[in-house]
Amino acid sequence: MKATFLCRIALFVAGAGIAAIVLAAPDAQAILTASDAVRNPSKPFAVTVNLLEYRNAKQTDANTLAVYSKADESSGQYRSLIRFMEPQRDAGKLMLKNGNDLWFYDPSSKASIRLSPQQRLLGQASNGDVVTVNLAKDYRAELLGEEDLADGERVMRHAYKLALAAVSADVTYHRVEMWVDAASSRPIKARFYAESGHLLKTAYYRKFQPQLDRERPTEVVIIDGLDPHWVTVMRYSDYAWRDIPDSWLQRDYLPRFKPE
Amino acid sequence: MHWPAILLSLALLLAFDARAADAPPDDLDALTLADKAAVAAQQPARPWRLFVEGAVGQGELRGMDSTFTMARGALDLRVDGMLMPTLRGVFSDRLDLVHSDGVPPGDNVNTLREAYLSWSRTAQQAFDVGRVNIRNGAAMGFNPTDWFKANALRAIVNPDPAVLRDNRQGTVVVQAQQLWADASLSATFSPRLARSADTATFALNAGATNPENRWLLAGSYKVNDQFNPQLLVYGGVDTPVQVGLNVSALLGDAVVAYGEVAAGNGMSLIAQSLGMAQPNDGQQRASAGLTYTTPFNLGLSAEIEYNSAAPDEGQWHALPPGAQQQLLATAQALQDLPTRSQLFFHATWKDLFMPRLDVSGFVRQDLQTSSQALWFEGRYAWQRADLALQWQVYAGEAGSLYRAVPQRQTVQLVLRVYL
Repeated sequence: MKATFLCRIALFVAGAGIAAIVLAAPDAQAILTASDAVRNPSKPFAVTVNLLEYRNAKQTDANTLAVYSKADESSGQYRSLIRFMEPQRDAGKLMLKNGNDLWFYDPSSKASIRLSPQQRLLGQASNGDVVTVNLAKDYRAELLGEEDLADGERVMRHAYKLALAAVSADVTYHRVEMWVDAASSRPIKARFYAESGHLLKTAYYRKFQPQLDRERPTEVVIIDGLDPHWVTVMRYSDYAWRDIPDSWLQRDYLPRFKPE
Repeated sequence: MHWPAILLSLALLLAFDARAADAPPDDLDALTLADKAAVAAQQPARPWRLFVEGAVGQGELRGMDSTFTMARGALDLRVDGMLMPTLRGVFSDRLDLVHSDGVPPGDNVNTLREAYLSWSRTAQQAFDVGRVNIRNGAAMGFNPTDWFKANALRAIVNPDPAVLRDNRQGTVVVQAQQLWADASLSATFSPRLARSADTATFALNAGATNPENRWLLAGSYKVNDQFNPQLLVYGGVDTPVQVGLNVSALLGDAVVAYGEVAAGNGMSLIAQSLGMAQPNDGQQRASAGLTYTTPFNLGLSAEIEYNSAAPDEGQWHALPPGAQQQLLATAQALQDLPTRSQLFFHATWKDLFMPRLDVSGFVRQDLQTSSQALWFEGRYAWQRADLALQWQVYAGEAGSLYRAVPQRQTVQLVLRVYL
C-alpha cells in the first residue's frame, strides 16, 4: 500500500516535471542566437554583396561591395571592412564598422572621415544592413508566439515570432520584430522600427544555399516602411573563409588595405 | 483519461497565438520584383579607374563689368595594383587642358598626384617610397595638420575642399608604418629634390613639394570607439618643429564632432607673401566643427577656423590692394587660412527630389572683413557618367577679403564619363 502510494507520488512528480518541460516556452534568446548562426559564419570571412535598388519597379541604383567580417573576441559583435567595387566612381572607397565606430576612406583624397550611424552611403540600405550583425548581442528577445506565414519564396513556414528590444544605444534599429523558422532556425522576415515607433523597413531572408558549412540566406529583400515601392535586393555571393588580422580593422590601416 | 493531453493542448494554444499569415500585398509585389531582378555577371575588381571630363563655363570679372568664358577637358587615371603578393604599386595622374579668357588665363597642366611602391613586410608593418599624397586632418574646410598641402596644387578646377585634397601633387617620401590592433605609428622623410617650382605642362614639379628636407611623425591610439586621437610632430631643415593633434567623437546617433590644432614657430602670412625678413613667432592654427546628419540623409557641417599667422581685420585693411592680392595668392598656394578667423558651412544632400541627384555646397564666411565665398553643385549620376552644374560666387564689402578675388561669379557645366 505504502509502496503504491510512493510510486504514485513519484509518477506525479515525474509527470509534473515532464509537463513543465513541455509547457515551458522556448528560450527566445536561444532562438535568436540560433538564427544568428544561420546568417553569420562562425569564423572570419569575406563575401560579395550586390545591391540593386528599385523605385516604383524601376531599377534606380546598383552597387557592389566586398565585405570582410570578423567577430570581436571580447564583445562577440562583428567588425567589418567594406570595400566599394562598383560603380566605378566609388571603386576603392572603404568603410570600417565596429559598432558605432564608423570610418569612411576615399583613396583619392586619402581622407579618413568619421561617420555617424545616421549617415547612409548606400541609398536605402543603412550601413548596418550590409554588414554582419549578431542580433543576440545587441537585442533582448521575447517570444510573442508562433505563426504560420509565407516566407520570401511564398512557402508557408511555421515560425517563432520574436520581439527584439535594443539593449544598448549602439544599434541601428531601436526595435525589431523577427520571424524565425521553428524547424530550421532560419530567419524568415524582420520588421525594423525607429524609436518613434514607425516602421523603417521590412526584410525577407531568402534563397538559402549551402555557404561556408551550412545553409545561409543569399538574398535579402528590403522594403521601405514608408514607401513600399522602394525596394532593395541584396545578394550575397563568393563567400569564403578569410584570415583578417586585427590590425586591418582600424582607421590607420585603411590607406593600406589591398586584399588581392 | 485524456485530460492531461487536452490541458496540455489548451495551454499550448493559450501560450502561443497560432495564426497563418500571408505576406502583405506590397511585400508580395516587392518579392515578385526581386524574383525578376537580373543576376548581373560579377565583374572582377579592376586595378584602375579612368575618366574623361569636359566642362564649359562662363564667369563675371569684378570691376571691369566684363564676362569671360572657359572650356576645359581632363583625363584622370588612377592605377592601384599588386605587383607581387606583398608589393603594391600606385600611379595617379590628371591632365587638365583649360582654355579661358578670364583671370587667371587657361593653361595645360599635368599633375602627377602619386607614383609609389608600397611593401608590406607583415600585416602590421609597411614601407612606402615614391610620391605619396600624405594627408592628415580631421577638419573639413581647413586642415592645420595637413602640412604637405603647401604648394601641392597645380590646377584648381573646383574649390570644394574635398576635391582640392584629391587633385594635388603628393610629396616624394620614404615612409614606414607600424600597426597594432588599436594603435599606429608612422615615420616619414621627405628629401629636398629641387628648390623652385616648375610650371611646364608635364613637369614633375618636385621643387614645389620637396623644397627642403622635412620629416613627420604621426601616432594614433584608439582609447575607445568614440575617441581615437592622432598626435603629429612635423619639422624640416628650414621649418621649425610643429605639433598637431586631430580628434573626432561621436555625439549620439547623428552628430560627429571634430577638432584639429597645430602649433609651432613660423612667420606671419603677410611676411611670407611680401617676402619680408621677419623673425619666427609662435603660431597656432585650429579648426573645430560638428557634422549633423538628418534622418533623410542631409548632412550639415559647421566649422570655425583660426590662424594666428593670418592678418586680422586691421592688418588686412592696412595692406595696399596689390599686397592684398599677393597675400590671397600666397594663402591659396599654401592652402592656408587667409585671415585670422572664418566660419565654414557645408551641406550635402543625397537623392534630393529624385534618386541619383545629389546637391552640395559651402559658404565660407570671413569673420574679419565681412565677405563670403560660396559654392554650390547639383550632380546627377548615371552608372558610368555624372553631369554637374557648379556655381561659385565671391561677395563682400569693398576692401574685404573675398571682394579682392578678381572673379565675381562663375558657372560651369561638367560632364564626366568613366571608361
